[in-house]
Amino acid sequence: MPQQEAIKAQVIREFEAQRRVTLLRQRTQQVVVLIGFSALIAVCFHVSGFFSGSQGSDPWGRIANLLNIMIPDLKPEALFEDRGTAGSLSSWFYDMPTWLALLWETVQIAIVATLFGIFGGFWASLLASKNLSPSPYIYWLTRRTLEVIRTLPDLIVALILVAAFGVGPLPGVIAIALGTMASLGKLYSEVNEAADMRPVEAVKAVGGSWWAQVRFGILPQVLPHYASYGLLRLEINVGGAAALGVVGAGGIGIELSRAITYTEFDTYFALLILIIGLIILIDLVSEAIRHRLIGLEATA
Amino acid sequence: MTTSAVLVAPHPVTAQEMQAARAIAPHLVDTPLAVHARRLALWIGLSAVFITLCIGVDMTPAAFAKGLSKLADFMGGMFPPNAAGEEVRILQALAATFAMAVAGTFLGVLGAIPLGLLGAKTFVSNPVLHFLIRRSFDVFRAIPALVWALILIVAFGLGPFGGVIALALTDIPRIAKLYAEAIENSDPRPQEGIRATGGQRRAAIRFGLLPEVLPVMASQSLYMLESNFRNAAILGIVGAGGIGFELEERIRIFAFDQVAWIVIAYVLCVMALDYVSENIRSKLVHG
Repeated sequence: MPQQEAIKAQVIREFEAQRRVTLLRQRTQQVVVLIGFSALIAVCFHVSGFFSGSQGSDPWGRIANLLNIMIPDLKPEALFEDRGTAGSLSSWFYDMPTWLALLWETVQIAIVATLFGIFGGFWASLLASKNLSPSPYIYWLTRRTLEVIRTLPDLIVALILVAAFGVGPLPGVIAIALGTMASLGKLYSEVNEAADMRPVEAVKAVGGSWWAQVRFGILPQVLPHYASYGLLRLEINVGGAAALGVVGAGGIGIELSRAITYTEFDTYFALLILIIGLIILIDLVSEAIRHRLIGLEATA
Repeated sequence: MTTSAVLVAPHPVTAQEMQAARAIAPHLVDTPLAVHARRLALWIGLSAVFITLCIGVDMTPAAFAKGLSKLADFMGGMFPPNAAGEEVRILQALAATFAMAVAGTFLGVLGAIPLGLLGAKTFVSNPVLHFLIRRSFDVFRAIPALVWALILIVAFGLGPFGGVIALALTDIPRIAKLYAEAIENSDPRPQEGIRATGGQRRAAIRFGLLPEVLPVMASQSLYMLESNFRNAAILGIVGAGGIGFELEERIRIFAFDQVAWIVIAYVLCVMALDYVSENIRSKLVHG
C-alpha cells in the first residue's frame, strides 16, 4: 500500500510540474504579445505626431475653438429674415440654390455610377463564379483583377482620372463605377455560386446555350439579391460621391473644399448638415425599396 | 432504375403540338399585345431617365472618348514603373500611412466600446432609444473620412494628427455598430449561468460575455484596420501626409512612371496586410 501511495504522489508531482511549465509558457506568450502590441501602438502614435506636440499644447482648447467658429451666429429675433440680414437662417445657408444643385449632382453621380457598376459587376461575376465561368483561367484572372481594383481607393482613382478627363463629374462617375463593379462583382459571384444549379442543368439538357442557361437558370434566382446589394451600394456611393469634389471630380465636395479655403467654417457646418440630410433621405428610400423587394421574394 | 425512354433527346416541336398547346393555355404561348406594349413603354421610360442622368454628369460618348485618349497616354507613360531614386522616401510614406491607420483604428476602437454597449439591445432595452442610437450610427457611418479630415487638418495643422482623428471619427460609428451586433448576437446562457450561481453583473460580463464577444470584436477591429489603410492613403490628398501626398504630388506633375511605382507598392502592401489580417482573424474566430 505505501508503495502505491508513493506512486500516486509521484504522479501528482509530475502533473503539477507539467502544469506549471504550461502555465509559464502561456503567460510568457501573453506578455510577449501584449508588449509587442503596445510597442506597435506606441510607435504608430509617435510616427503620427501624437507626442511631438506640433499640433499645439492645448488640443481641447483647439477643439473648443473649432466648434466655436463652426457654429454660426444666429440671432433668434432675425431667424427668418432674408439673406441680407446677419444672423438669419438664410444668411447661414446663403448659397442654397447652388448647394441643392450640387447635391442633386452628387445623387446623379451616385446613381449613374451604381448602375454602371451593377452592369459591370454582373458580367464580371459571371466570369468570376466557379459554377458559371467558361474556363478556370478566366475565373482566376477575373478574381485577381477585381481584387486589385478593390485595393485602390475610389478617390485615388478619381485623382488620376481628373488629370485625364478634366475637372467635372465624369471622372468621379468612372472612379465610383469601377469600385462598385469590383465589389459587386465579388458579392454577385458569391450569390451565383450559392444558386441552385438544377434549373441551369435543365436548360442545358434541353439544348439551351450558355446565355440561355444564365438567363433562365440563374437570373430568376439571383435578381432580388443583386438588386438588394446594388441598393446597399448606392447608399455607400452617395457618401463617397460627397467627397469626390475635393479632388475636383464633381458634386457637393467642391463647395466643402471652397468653404475650407475661404475659412467659412460655419458654411462647412451647413454643408455637413445638408450631406447628412441627403444620406438619411437616400437611406429611407433605399430601405423602403429593399423591403418591397424582400416582400416580392417572399410572396413569389 | 432509369428507363431508356427518359433519355431520348427532345424532338423539335411540331406545328400541330403548338396548335394543341394554344388551345389549352393561350396566355402561356402568346404574350398579349398589351403586356408587350407595357414592357416596351417601361423600358423606354427607364432608358430615357438613365440617359438624362448620364448627360447630367457629362457621361457622353464624346467626353468619354476625349478623356480616354488622354488616359491611354498616361497609361503609356506608366511603363516602365520607376521610383526616380526615391524608393526609401516612398516606403517611409507607406509606413507613415500604416501608422496613421493603426493609430486611427486604436482610437476608433476605444471610442466605439462604450457606444457599442449603448447600441446593444441587451444594454439599452428601450426600443425608441435603441432605434435612435442605431440610426445615428447609420447616418454618421456614411460620412467619408475625407470630409472629417478637411476640417480637422485646419484645426490641428498639416500632418498626420488630424488624419488620425478623422479616421477615428469615421470608424467610431462603424465599429460601434459591429460591436453592438456582436453583443446582441452573443449567447445569453453563460451569463445567466453565472448570475444563477450568485455572480455579480460584473462577473457575468467578465466571464459570461467577454470570452464570447472579444474574439469577434478583435476580428472586426482588424477588418477596420484593413479598411483604414485604404482610407489613410486618401487623407494625404488634403494634407495628412503619407502615401496620398506623394501620389498627388506626382500626379500633378504628370510623372506617371512614378505614380505606377507607388500604386504597385501600395497594392502589394494592402494585399500583404489583408493576407496577414485574414489569417489572424480566422485564427481568432475559429480558435
